[in-house]
Amino acid sequence: MLDPSEMPGRLAAFLDRHSGARRATVTSYEAMVGGYSRLMARAEVMWDDGTTETFVLRGDPPPGKAMMETSRDLEWALLSALGAADAIPMPAARFYDSTGEHLGTKCIVLDYVNGRSLQSVLNEHSADSGYGSHPLDLVDTMAAVHRVDVSGLAGVLAVPDDWDGYISGLIDRFRQADATHAEAMPFLRYVAAWLEANKPAPLPLRLVHSDFQPANVMVTTDGRHQVIDWELSHIGDPREDLGYYNIYSSASGPNLFMLDPEGFLARYRERTGFGEDAVNLQTMAYFSSLAAITVYSQILLGAGAMARGQNAGIMTTYTLNALTVGHINFMAGCTPPAGGGH
Amino acid sequence: MLSRPTTEQLILDCRNELLNTIDPAVAAEPVKIAIQMLENVLRNCATRAAHEIAWMRDETEQMIAFAHRVADSACATPAIAGALDAYRAGRSDSLHLDDVAHTYSLAGHCFSAAIDAVMAAGDDDLHLAAREVLTTRLEHETQIMGEWSFVGRA
Repeated sequence: MLDPSEMPGRLAAFLDRHSGARRATVTSYEAMVGGYSRLMARAEVMWDDGTTETFVLRGDPPPGKAMMETSRDLEWALLSALGAADAIPMPAARFYDSTGEHLGTKCIVLDYVNGRSLQSVLNEHSADSGYGSHPLDLVDTMAAVHRVDVSGLAGVLAVPDDWDGYISGLIDRFRQADATHAEAMPFLRYVAAWLEANKPAPLPLRLVHSDFQPANVMVTTDGRHQVIDWELSHIGDPREDLGYYNIYSSASGPNLFMLDPEGFLARYRERTGFGEDAVNLQTMAYFSSLAAITVYSQILLGAGAMARGQNAGIMTTYTLNALTVGHINFMAGCTPPAGGGH
Repeated sequence: MLSRPTTEQLILDCRNELLNTIDPAVAAEPVKIAIQMLENVLRNCATRAAHEIAWMRDETEQMIAFAHRVADSACATPAIAGALDAYRAGRSDSLHLDDVAHTYSLAGHCFSAAIDAVMAAGDDDLHLAAREVLTTRLEHETQIMGEWSFVGRA
C-alpha cells in the first residue's frame, strides 16, 4: 500500500493465494480519503469466473508516520469474531495480510460498502431540517453494538473483572497519559481527580466501539447502517460511546444528541434496556469527559513521539488541536463545585 | 536579526501562498486535504510564534502562585513541596523557547501536584482557583486552535 503503482499486481497475487481456484484481476486501485489513522484504498476486482467485487484495503502507515498505533492483528480477530456472530451491521472482513509480505504493510481487506458515510449524508441537511430519521437511526445502530453478547469476544478482547475496577483503570489512563508525555498536562490530572470523585451508577460491561461518530457509520443505498473502523474497540462501559459521540459531534457537527437530548437518551434506554438511573444527562456529561481518553491518549502519544523526534507527518501536527477540543470538553464536563461559575 | 516582518507575518504569508498558488494547481483529493491541514497548522504556528513565550511565562507565574498557595494551606502535600523544589532547581529566566518551555513544564508539574491535593481534600475554594488557572491555559490553547474541525472526515 505504500507504493500504489505496485498495488494492482500485488493485490491480485495476494487474492489468488487466498481464493482457491479463482484468479483475480485488479481493474482499478485508488487511495481513499477520510481515514485518519490508517492507509485506505479502494480496489475493483474481476474474477476469472466473470464476477466482480469491490474491496477496501485498510493498512498500517509507514513506521513513524502514524498518528496513533493500534494492532491490525487484534482488529482482524475482532472483525472476524463480529462477522461470525452476525450481530452488528458491518462490512465483512475478507482477507488479511498479517505480515505485510504481500501488500507492503499489514493490511485487512474488507467488502466495500456501496453508499456514503453518515457524516456525508448529514452534511447535506440544513440544521433546521431535524435530520429526518437519522438521529434515531444512529441511536439504534449504537444500541445494536451495545447489545452484542460479549462472551463471544472473550478470546479476542480483554474482559475486565468488574465495573468499578474498569472505570478506575480508565480514569488512571489520564494520569498515565500525563506521566508519559513530554511535558506536564495539568488538565489530565484535574479531570482524573474529578472523575474519580464523581463516579456514576454502574452498567454491565459491553462492547464499546470507541470511535463511534458519523464518519464511521456508512449508509447503504437502501438506508441501512454499516459500522466501520473498529481499531480502538474494547469491552467497557457502553456509555463511553454515548459520551464520545457527544464530544466528537460537538467539534465536528451536527450533534444529533443535542437536537433532543432527552429523546435521544430515551430511545437508547428503550433499545438497550438500561435504566434512567444509569443513562441520563448527568452520566452523559460524565462519559463525555471520560470517553475522550481512548482517542485523546493516542493523539497525545503521537505528539509526545514527535516532541522526542520519533514521529512526523501532517496527521500528527494537524490533530494536536483535537487535544484542545478535549480540554474544552473536560472543563465543560467536569462541573465546578456549587457556587462556582467557571 | 531581522525582526520585521515578524515570524507571524512570514508564516501567514506562506499560508496565503499555499492557499492561493499551490492549492488551485492541485487536483488530487488526498493532497487537497493535506493542504487544508497544512493551512490550519500554519495558522496555529503563526499564533504561537506571536504569543507563546509571553503566554507560557504568564501561566508559569499563575501556576507557581497557585502551588505556593496550596503548599501554604491545610491541603499541603510532600508532592507539592517536591515539585516546587524541582522547579526552583530547574527553572530559567532565559527567553529561548526551549528554556521557557522547560520552565513552563516544571511549573505545570507543581500545578498538577497542587490540583491532586486540592481535589483529594475537597477544598471548593481552591478547586475554583485551580479552574481559573486552567481556564487561562484553555483560552490560550483556543486562540491557537482558531477555527478547527476534522478536515476530510466525511
